Amino acid sequence: MNPLIDRARSYVDQAELYWTRQHDISVSYEDSRLQSINESDTSSLALRVIDRGRLGATYGIAPDRDRLVNEAKQAAAHGDPAPFSFAPEARYPEVANYSDRAARLSSEDVVALCEAVRTRILAKRPDASLRVEAGTAARHLDIETTQGAAATHRSSEMYIWFGAPFKGAGIGVYKVAAGVTPLNPPDDLVDEFVRWYGWGEATSTPRTGRLPVVFAPNAASLYLLPLWAGLDGDAVDKGTSPLIGRVGEAILSPLLTVVDDPLRADDPEARPFDDEAIPCQRRPLIHRGSLTGFLFDLRTAALQGTASTGNAVKRALFGGGTETAPAPWPMSLVVEPGDSSFDEMVADLDEGLVLLGGLGFHSGNYPQGQFSVQAVGFHVQGGRVVGRLENTMVSADIYTDLANVRAVSREQRRSFGMLGALAPYVLVDGLQVTGR
Amino acid sequence: MKDKLSRIATSTAADYADIRYEKNHKTRISYRGRALSEVASYETFGGHTRAYAGGGKAVATFSGANRAETMAAAVAASARIAARHRDKPLRIAPAPVLISAFPIVSDSHPSAVSMEEKLALAAHYNDLILAEPLVATTETDYDEFVSHRVFVNSEGSVIEYDVVIANIVGRIVTKKGDVVQRIRFAFGGNEHFDRLIGREEDLRRLIDVACRLVEAQPARSGRYPVILDPSEAGLFVHEAFGHLSESDSLQNNPSFRARLNLGDDVGQPILNVSDDPTRNGLPGSYPIDDEGVRAVRTPLITEGRLTGRLHSRETASEFGEPLTGNMRAVDAQYTPIVRMSNILIEQGQSTFDELVSSIDDGYYLVGAKGGQTSGDQFTFGAQWGFRIEGGQLGPMVRDINMSGELFSTLKAISMVGDDVAFGERGGCGKGSPMQLNRMSGKGAPHIRIDDVTIGGIA
Repeated sequence: MNPLIDRARSYVDQAELYWTRQHDISVSYEDSRLQSINESDTSSLALRVIDRGRLGATYGIAPDRDRLVNEAKQAAAHGDPAPFSFAPEARYPEVANYSDRAARLSSEDVVALCEAVRTRILAKRPDASLRVEAGTAARHLDIETTQGAAATHRSSEMYIWFGAPFKGAGIGVYKVAAGVTPLNPPDDLVDEFVRWYGWGEATSTPRTGRLPVVFAPNAASLYLLPLWAGLDGDAVDKGTSPLIGRVGEAILSPLLTVVDDPLRADDPEARPFDDEAIPCQRRPLIHRGSLTGFLFDLRTAALQGTASTGNAVKRALFGGGTETAPAPWPMSLVVEPGDSSFDEMVADLDEGLVLLGGLGFHSGNYPQGQFSVQAVGFHVQGGRVVGRLENTMVSADIYTDLANVRAVSREQRRSFGMLGALAPYVLVDGLQVTGR
Repeated sequence: MKDKLSRIATSTAADYADIRYEKNHKTRISYRGRALSEVASYETFGGHTRAYAGGGKAVATFSGANRAETMAAAVAASARIAARHRDKPLRIAPAPVLISAFPIVSDSHPSAVSMEEKLALAAHYNDLILAEPLVATTETDYDEFVSHRVFVNSEGSVIEYDVVIANIVGRIVTKKGDVVQRIRFAFGGNEHFDRLIGREEDLRRLIDVACRLVEAQPARSGRYPVILDPSEAGLFVHEAFGHLSESDSLQNNPSFRARLNLGDDVGQPILNVSDDPTRNGLPGSYPIDDEGVRAVRTPLITEGRLTGRLHSRETASEFGEPLTGNMRAVDAQYTPIVRMSNILIEQGQSTFDELVSSIDDGYYLVGAKGGQTSGDQFTFGAQWGFRIEGGQLGPMVRDINMSGELFSTLKAISMVGDDVAFGERGGCGKGSPMQLNRMSGKGAPHIRIDDVTIGGIA
C-alpha cells in the first residue's frame, strides 16, 4: 500500500490515490527537416478524499506529499455530499500491452523511423513539404483506494504521424500508425498518402444541396463525438441528452455497430481499469443501430441508481490529465467493419464527398447530435475523385442523417484527433452541403 | 534555486540553453446544475529546458528541480543528434541579457481571497441562473491560476516573473421541448479578483438570451454578408488572421510564407490590426515572455498592409525581423510556442446603425463560440444571431457556424465600427501536444464582412 493512502486513512473517511509516471521521447519534422527532439520525464499524483460525506480533491506534480492530504481534506470541507464510495477491491482483466523493447527505444531509434518514412515519401513526392512526428512512451499508472482497490498497469506505445499540406493550402493529408511494440515503416500508409496527396492537387467545390458523403476513418469523430455527448451519463443525469429513454430503440442505421473495447492487447490505449479503478469491459454501445447503454463513472452511476460502467476518464473535450476530474468517456471505440470497400464506395458516387475531417466541430451544437463544419476532404464526380474540397461546409444531425447509411467498409483504420477510434469508411446517403 | 539553475544553464555543453522552473497553484470550483461537483486546490512544480547545439534543437520536461541538471545535459546531447539530420541549421536571434523580476501586484490578488468567498461568489451566480425556469442545467466554474516562474539561460539572464489569472466562466443551458441551447459567460481574465464581483446584470442579460434562443429558428445555410459583434470579430481576427501571424506557423510552410510578405496588401485601407501584450488588465497582458524577451506591441496590419508578425528568437532569426516577445507556454509541462497576446482590430468610423442598414439580406452574429483554423481555412461559431432584412434587424437565430478563406475574407471586411470591446477570457488551443491557453486576449469593434459561408442543417 502506498504510504499516502495509509496516512490519509487516519485523516479522512475515504481516499483515492491516482499516481502516474511517464517517459516520452518524440521527434518532429517540419518542411521535411528534423525540427526538434523532445523528451518528457514526469510523475504526478491526484488525491480525492471523502470526509464527513463530502468530496474534495487535490493534485500535484512533484508535490510536497504531506500537504496533499491536508489540501484534499480542506477542499472536502467545502465540497458537496459525495453520492458514491471509492472503488472496492476488484479482479482486473489481463491487458498485456507493454513492450520492454518499445520502452527502451532511444531518440536515435525514433529518428531512424522518421528518416525511413521521409525517404520513402520524398522518393515519390519530392515536392511535398513533409511533416512527421514520431515517438515512444512508457506509462505506469497506479490507483489505490482506502476501500481496497489496488490497480496497477503499465503500457508502452510507439507511434508515427506523417503527412503534408497540399501545395498552397493549410489543409493536407495525414496518416497515423501506432502500436505497443517498435514500429516498422508503414509502407501501406505511405502508399495511401502518396495516392491521396495526388488527389488533392486540384481544388473543387460541390454544388449546394444534399449529397452522399463517405466518412473516412479519421472523420469518424464527427459522428462519434456527438454520440458520446448523448451517451454521457452526466448529460443523462442533467436531462440534456437526446438519448434519454431510448435504450433498445434504433437511433442509427442498422449497418452501424459501435463497441467500447479497452481490452485489445494490440492497442496502446488498452487498459484493465478506468481512472477510478473500476474494471474495464468490452461493451457494445450501439448494436446494429440500436442504443444498448450509456457511459457512467462512479458519480453519475450513483445519481442514476446504477453501477459504473468503468468509463471514468480524466479528460475533457480539450485537454485532460491527472488534474482533470474523472468524467464518463468511451475508453477505446471500435466501429465494426462491413462488407464494402472504400474504392467501391467512391466508384458508386455520381457526386459526393469523401470527408477526412472537419474544421470547427466544437463551435456547433454537438451535444444535441449535430455538427456543422468546414469540410476537409475530396470531391467525387462520376465515380472518381476530382480534387480537394474548397469553400465547402457540411452539416448533419447524426440521429436523422446516420439512419441512412448505404455501406460500411471492410477496411478499418485507427483515427486520431479529438476522439480516436478504430473505424471503417462509412457511406451516408445524404448530408446538407453548402458549396457552390 | 535560481542561482543553481543559472549555473546549470551556463555550464551546459550547448550553443544556447535555458531552463524555466515553475511553482503553480490552481484552484477550481465547479458547479454542474445544483451540484457542487468539484472543489480542488492544486500545487505543482515543474521544469522545462531547451538547448540549441550545432544547429539542432531539443527540449525536455521534468518534474522535480533535482532533475534539472540531468535533463539539461540530455537535451544538449539530443540537440547535437538533431543537428546531424538538418541541412539548414537552426539559429536564434540575439536578445538582451536581463536580470530582473516582474512580480504581479494587485489590490485584490486572488491568492488573498478565502476559499469561502470564492465558493460563495460561484454559488451566487450559479443560483441566479438556476432561478430561471427554462434553465435545464448550468456549468459554473471559478478558475484560478497563480504561477511563479524562474527563467535562466546560458547567456546570463535570470528572470523571475508571475502569471496570475482568475475567471468565473460557464454555460447557461436552456431547454424547451427538444431544443437545447448553451450560452457561454466569462468574467475576469486578469489578476484582479474584484473584477468578478457585481456582474449580476451582465449575467442576467445572457440568461435572457439563453431563454429566447430556445424559441429561435436555426440559421439558414448559404453565403451572406454579415455584421460581427466585437466578440465575434475578435474571434474572427484571432482565428482567420492571427494564427498566420504566428511565425512558427509560417516558418516551415513555404507556400504561405511566399503569400505573406511584409508590405503586401491584405485588406482594405480601413483595416488596422495589432498584437499588444502591454495593455493592462487583459487576458493576454504580460511584461516578459517564456523565452526571457520583453513583450512589445506589434502592428500586424496597418491601413490594409501587412506590417509585422509575431516571433520567437528562432523565428526572428529565420525571418530577419525584430523580436516581439510572443513565446508562451501554458505551464512547465510544455515548451513555449509563438502565441498571440491580445490581438485587436483597431477602432474604425462606422456606427452600428450604418453597419446594419448596409445589408439587405444577411445576418448579425453575436458572441464568440470557438473556432478552428488550418492554414488559410477557418471556421468559427456564433452564440446567437439575428436576421438582417432590408437593412433592419429581424428575428433571433441559433446554431450558427461559418467558414471562409483568409485572404479573400480579409479583403471582404468593408466596414469597421467606431466601438471596441475586449473579451474577458482567452481560450486558444495550439501545438502538439495541444496547449490550451487561457491567456489569449481578443478585441475588436463591430465589423462587416461582405461574404462568408454559413453552414447548417436548415
